[in-house]
Amino acid sequence: MEKNSTKKLVLTLATIGIISALLLTFVYEWTTPYIQANQAEARKQAINEVLPDVAEVEEVEKNGNIFYEGYDAQGEQIGVAFQNSGGGYNGAIEIMIGVDPESDKIYKISVLNHQETPGLGARITESEFKSNFEDKPFGDYNVVKTPPSEEMQVQAIAGATISSESATRIIEDALEKINSAYGGGN
Amino acid sequence: MSLDFKQIVSDFKNGLWAENPIIRLVIGMCPTLAVTNTSANGLAMGLATSFVLIMSEIVISLIKKLIPANVRIPSYILIIATFVTFTDYFLKAFFPGIAASLSIFIPLIVVNCLILGRQEAFASKHSTPRAIADGIGMGLGFTWVLTLLGMIREFFGMGSMFGVQLLGEWYRPMVIMVLPAGAFITLGILVGIMNQISREGK
Repeated sequence: MEKNSTKKLVLTLATIGIISALLLTFVYEWTTPYIQANQAEARKQAINEVLPDVAEVEEVEKNGNIFYEGYDAQGEQIGVAFQNSGGGYNGAIEIMIGVDPESDKIYKISVLNHQETPGLGARITESEFKSNFEDKPFGDYNVVKTPPSEEMQVQAIAGATISSESATRIIEDALEKINSAYGGGN
Repeated sequence: MSLDFKQIVSDFKNGLWAENPIIRLVIGMCPTLAVTNTSANGLAMGLATSFVLIMSEIVISLIKKLIPANVRIPSYILIIATFVTFTDYFLKAFFPGIAASLSIFIPLIVVNCLILGRQEAFASKHSTPRAIADGIGMGLGFTWVLTLLGMIREFFGMGSMFGVQLLGEWYRPMVIMVLPAGAFITLGILVGIMNQISREGK
């Protein structure tokens, strides 16, 4: 018998491929609900974090983007949350931002995912950086390296100017998208 | 095929020190340098790689006679990739925190030359029990060095260990240690120390 005939080579690889694919199909079926639940849970937590006292959240699609409208216990709309992403220093950064489109004011921001350097860029997740945007108006922000003296200034994290800049740009972009969907006053 | 217990123990010990993948064979450098910026990342990466290594060694040592020599490398890669994808899904589903911090480096385990290297050098030539011993030994050898690297880098770079802050406000973190350059410096010093220790042992 010819041991290394082409037929045998093809058959071997095909068999391994089919078995692998079969196994992974089961693993995929098994893990997908958990993965989706994790993502939904992370998103829910982020929305709760960026919209104060939110009781109910409704998904609304506008201009091809998905917005999360938050309502309080009395059914009053308190604000809109929007998830935006963009490039950071090492990879994509995903930020949830909660705003009040009525008064063009940011409530809070929350970083969902990032791959920034631990100890440096990763500090965009800490409240010291996030507080730069709390209760601030819509508009363009300047990243500065000294303690901010004006309202539209954001203090960069020491040693992580690029991460700070990226996060700020993602937030500005999100504000623009919210503005065009909800027709703010600016 | 008789089971030689002594042989199995020596196969297992081999990976821990004498042929430690990182400090002796110097293979699998990509994850070693890239994800050891914190202790937890180093440990998680080591365990994920160990799992893939052990499972692939088991499967390949079992079916080694069925695989024609000409297609053995693609066959190994297919088997390794299957276990890596499994690990990727598994971590994302049950350990989302670890999956997020290791991100792209989990799928990249496929191309870790430690894993392919052990299939070619060991699993394809030895019995399954010996392959299991080799997989566990090599896996643990890889894990302890990765964890140690992560601990050293996190300690100097952030003043903490496994996320627990050890040094107070007075400590000014050596930022370079959590950056890629810190990985090269730490690994170089570590390999030097290990070489010295094993030389003195002779």
